Amino acid sequence: MQRSKLISHLGPLIMLLAGLGFGLGAMTSLDLGSLRRMGPGAFPLLVGGILAALALIALIQNLRAPMPIQQADPIAVLGVGAGVGIFACLTPIFGVVPATAIAVIATGAAIPGFRWPYRIALGLAVGAGVWLIFVQGLAMPFVAFRWS
Amino acid sequence: MDLFANLALGLETAISPITLLYCFIGVFLGTFIGVLPGVGPLAAVAMLLPVSFHLEPATALVMLAGVYYGAEYGGSIASILLNIPGTPSSSVTCLDGYPMARQGRAGLALFATSMASFFGAIFGVLVIVLLAPKLADFALLFQPAEYFSVMVLGLIAASVVSSSGALRGLMMVCLGILLGAIGIDVNSGETRFTAGIPELRDGVSLVVVAMGLFGVSEVMVSLRGATQSYAGARLSWRGFFPNAGEWRRSALPALRGSGIGAFFGTLPGTGQTVASFVGYALEKRINRNKETFGKGAIEGVVVPEAANNAAAQTAFIPTLTLGIPGSTTMALMIGALMIHGITPGPRLIAEHPDLFWGLIVSFLFGNLFLLILNVPLIGLWVRLLRIPHHYLYPTVIVIICVGVYGISNALSDVWLALGFGFLGYMLRLFRFEPAPMLIGFVLGPMMEEYFRRAMLLSRGDPMVFLERPGSAALLAAGAALLLFATFSPKQIACRIWGRKSQQGPAPRSSDGP
Repeated sequence: MQRSKLISHLGPLIMLLAGLGFGLGAMTSLDLGSLRRMGPGAFPLLVGGILAALALIALIQNLRAPMPIQQADPIAVLGVGAGVGIFACLTPIFGVVPATAIAVIATGAAIPGFRWPYRIALGLAVGAGVWLIFVQGLAMPFVAFRWS
Repeated sequence: MDLFANLALGLETAISPITLLYCFIGVFLGTFIGVLPGVGPLAAVAMLLPVSFHLEPATALVMLAGVYYGAEYGGSIASILLNIPGTPSSSVTCLDGYPMARQGRAGLALFATSMASFFGAIFGVLVIVLLAPKLADFALLFQPAEYFSVMVLGLIAASVVSSSGALRGLMMVCLGILLGAIGIDVNSGETRFTAGIPELRDGVSLVVVAMGLFGVSEVMVSLRGATQSYAGARLSWRGFFPNAGEWRRSALPALRGSGIGAFFGTLPGTGQTVASFVGYALEKRINRNKETFGKGAIEGVVVPEAANNAAAQTAFIPTLTLGIPGSTTMALMIGALMIHGITPGPRLIAEHPDLFWGLIVSFLFGNLFLLILNVPLIGLWVRLLRIPHHYLYPTVIVIICVGVYGISNALSDVWLALGFGFLGYMLRLFRFEPAPMLIGFVLGPMMEEYFRRAMLLSRGDPMVFLERPGSAALLAAGAALLLFATFSPKQIACRIWGRKSQQGPAPRSSDGP
């Protein structure tokens, strides 16, 4: 209970850090200019300051009455991360279509009750669909298969 | 006369076979997405943005708009048959739609929602035709200060309707504006916040942000969630058509719902969900059969559907005439236009009349397609609800990957989309709704531009935003909105009343001996 309360403070705290990060970054590395001729750092400094101030209010509010956080599902995150990661890693090696099929199977592996034969069939079907729609239909400049 | 000439010009664009084809593809995909609970129109529009790069701007917009309003039709199907809203705005339809289905009147409920949706949408289109050119003419009087203020108002409106509350909504808007600042500053040519990564010099792509925040994170949330397929009976044609009494009972509620929807659609930030809730609540108060509401009243499905479809159409008014998105999906529409080098705003109608009027006329065709798709072909969508959702999410993920990769054949964009997916997921865990962030991301660069220009014109006097009446009125409206969102009207009245009553007795006591 105590731990989840502590974790719930992280949200506004991250926002506070983001606001301060952008604001300080603008102040230290960008020209602020004058009120009349504003430099590239002026607007981010202003918005970063507002974000930091709002995050501070949210943090105080949260300290008084912590907002409950939602339960994370690490397997779902891992399944999606694996699918996207596999697509990004395998596309330069095998081409878009095989990478697509394997990515679908990887993401499908995270779904309970979804049997392997169906996962593989879905992977092959989506791979074929991507080839048909994106490569043949829309003529997107992809390397569909890289055999060598 | 001008109006008819403009509509004729629009008809010329909208009736071309290629535009009609993409209009049909858009509304078909929209219904498909709407029927399936879990993936909203926002994710669908985001997924189609890369495809739209390869199309003419008018055709691209017609297709994306079709997805947007098509989802409103489809959203009610899952609401009625499964009691799970396909889109957030059709959640009210569950209240009477599902009881109707349980009473064996599912066919009637589906028919009534399709007809009400069509009626509401056509009403919304009429409002656009009459109102949009007038608003655009008025907006031509705007100077940079007013533009900045209207954007502030739009962003506040988007924040206050955020499900996570106004404060968190505002924080999301600010974060979106800051993310929009990444890349080269157009005025000075200096790079900002790129951390030395060359790929970020042109800024973060809107498609990458939208796909990551809404597509990837949406799938992370839904991938392993409980899904429900339709296992009910087949629908028979006989139960589809309302009798004379039901037609009569639906007519006025449809008109009222359309009026409320058309009004709320034009307000930036409110959109279809608010429109359908307000429409339902109002109808429940004034309808003669109010005691049947919640138990399967036909008015209970007609009003929210007419309202959300009218709002879906009129949401294009602020988007196209002011360049202010009424919702997050509208922010993507603005992004799609800007990708094609078209700046939405009051000059859009004058500079690209074929695009504007073509889009409006395409709404009529799109809604006709939707009526065909949702009445004679309703069985197709019911069958779709029988398919387990296992097949959907892995497919969505790879379509996102292929779409993002297709923008510039750069796998770094795919990794970045995954990064935004993680960010979106984290934000949801901490109860920050990512939708206002995307609106801030789209409007941020424009807002900065107008802010700096207004300051330059006023010779560095920030009071320009309060001294110009239009700008002051817009900012005051924003402040009032924020005030009402933070405190309820009752609380505000109590505070004022309380203070008065505290101040009241004081003079009396000093008067006394």
